[in-house]
Amino acid sequence: MAETKEKEPLFSTKNKKLLSEPMVRNNPITVQVLGICSALAITVKLEPSLVMALSVVVIMGVSNVIISLLRNMIPPRIRIIVMLTVIASLVVLTDEVLEAFLYDVSKQLSVFVGLIITNCIIMGRLEAFASSNKPWPSFLDGIGNAAGYGWILIVVGFFRELFGSGEVFGYPVFEKIGLYSIGYENNGLMILPPAALFVVGIIIWVQRSRHPELVEEN
Amino acid sequence: MENLFDIFIKAIFVENMIFAYFLGMCSYLAVSKTVETSTGLGLAVVFVLGITVPVDYLINEYLLADGALAWLGPEFATIDLSFLSFIMFIAVIASMVQLVEMVIEKFSPTLYANLGIFLPLIAVNCSILGGSLFMQERDYNNIAEATSFGLGSGVGWFLAIVAIAAIREKIRYSNVPAPLRGLGITFIITGLMGIAFMAFMGIEL
Amino acid sequence: MSNSYIFRFATIMVVLVAAILTAVATILKPMQEKNKDEEKMQAILSSANIEVERDEAINKYKERLLAEYMLDLDGNILSIYQGEEEGFSKGSERAFEIDLKKMLEAIKQFEAGSQQVSPHLPMYVIKDQEGDSLFIIPVRGKGLWGPIWGNIALENDLNTIAGASFDHQGETPGLGAEINTDMFSDRFKNTKIFNDQGKFVSVQVIKGGVENSKISSKHGVDAISGGTITSNGVSDMIENVLSYYLPYIKKHQ
Repeated sequence: MAETKEKEPLFSTKNKKLLSEPMVRNNPITVQVLGICSALAITVKLEPSLVMALSVVVIMGVSNVIISLLRNMIPPRIRIIVMLTVIASLVVLTDEVLEAFLYDVSKQLSVFVGLIITNCIIMGRLEAFASSNKPWPSFLDGIGNAAGYGWILIVVGFFRELFGSGEVFGYPVFEKIGLYSIGYENNGLMILPPAALFVVGIIIWVQRSRHPELVEEN
Repeated sequence: MENLFDIFIKAIFVENMIFAYFLGMCSYLAVSKTVETSTGLGLAVVFVLGITVPVDYLINEYLLADGALAWLGPEFATIDLSFLSFIMFIAVIASMVQLVEMVIEKFSPTLYANLGIFLPLIAVNCSILGGSLFMQERDYNNIAEATSFGLGSGVGWFLAIVAIAAIREKIRYSNVPAPLRGLGITFIITGLMGIAFMAFMGIEL
Repeated sequence: MSNSYIFRFATIMVVLVAAILTAVATILKPMQEKNKDEEKMQAILSSANIEVERDEAINKYKERLLAEYMLDLDGNILSIYQGEEEGFSKGSERAFEIDLKKMLEAIKQFEAGSQQVSPHLPMYVIKDQEGDSLFIIPVRGKGLWGPIWGNIALENDLNTIAGASFDHQGETPGLGAEINTDMFSDRFKNTKIFNDQGKFVSVQVIKGGVENSKISSKHGVDAISGGTITSNGVSDMIENVLSYYLPYIKKHQ
């Protein structure tokens, strides 16, 4: 295994592609339609979105490496349960760490941290990539997909917080630039659940008009 | 009794898994192309939620929660195993799905033919784990309340997926802007349906 | 891959996972508990109009705490805890350690007759910025989505509300969730829980504004627009929980 690694530089074109591909062209949310479940409900504010995105990046990177290392040892018949156990343990660790060090954020995320377990992106990538590839490419694949998922989350969180509460990271932007004094009002719809769907819908719209090859047939 | 009905209705309309919490969105988006398959998956979800939520309730109440082991003896009363709940819940769900699949296969081949292909999909459906986690967070008082919450959530999910499938069947005849076709428009319609469902908010029974 | 291999693999995995998780949970537990304690202290101080950051809450609480009382339902003081150094001057039950949810359930059962032992009520006495003692009663009730809770600080006359703080588990962001802002809790300042005839009327949260209602601004505050059920929940929990403290209040007024 070490020999092949020497032949291939750490960031070969192939490996870079593993990272960049899921950003737009093969984005887990807008193209592969995975992992939407746990994502949308926590995007009311930017901060929880960021924490959620980071948690998923960490969990996905680590779980991909673990499964990839164990790929020849895991009995195929119980592989789904093994994967779920690995993910679930990592999620529990993340949850415990958040509760100890980032208490306020962990309160906002509440049950949604637990739902990372059923985040289909993680299961999907473990099954499709990590269980048949070496640790390093698996790690990149995990990070790439999680980042592709994360940026959507952060963009949605940014717009919902900006238009819904007029703030960015809790800093009252709209108030400071004097938008309220000329009669602007916060858009109450943005903080309600359906707004997340609209924002993602718009992201898909923008993305697909720029990449016409992604357009579906109906 | 009133309380049970209240929880049931609330879980269907006000706290709808799809429209209020976006749980189970993956299969909701992927399988909602025709009404027929949606009905099958929807029924399977009702079924599995109706079983796993009460089972997880018992596990939480008598094994995991702070002081839950008190029935073993007073020296166990301080044990708090709640950090194991994610793993226990997902294990229960995975094995329940397996069990349900086997039972249905044995006793009702017709039902199995209809539901069978959807059951494995359900283990990773977030609404199932979400149901158990919400049950734990909301602290229902007894198993009847937990069951009625589980069934209500399932029925809510069923309603949502059948409704969107019906809309998607019709929308094929409309002129949707090309980049929005398929996924994009489904997101936006779901959002609009979510707004409609918000009209149920604040219903007091 | 024989069955025995699968079995061995599964056993090793389960043992390993359980060991790691238990270790982490045990190591992090004290920090998590501290976070929860700090949050509770911060909320109590906030109702006494003392705003502190969470990491300073423990010290500030120690500095401001005059006593933690435990009362019985007839209004007698059973325990008095005066801080870490002084310890208990009476009884041995700390108000801070009471789980309000369990306590309120126990009271309901006691009143229904299904439980014989009378539950005890917690109360905090905190010295505010001006040096006056405030009597703080923790409250808990139901909002739209889940539980809501808070603290009500009464002045020495046990009638005027000096301040309040509220929090919630998952009310609608921007609507019901606004109850945890100062904007909402400040509305309770200087309201009274007894009317001029000395009858307990509590403080109502009124939809559509106090001005347009029959209730005087002494006993009512404006609701949050769009958060009607959460607002009603706040009204109900204050009235409901304070009513258990009436015997004590009547005795000491």
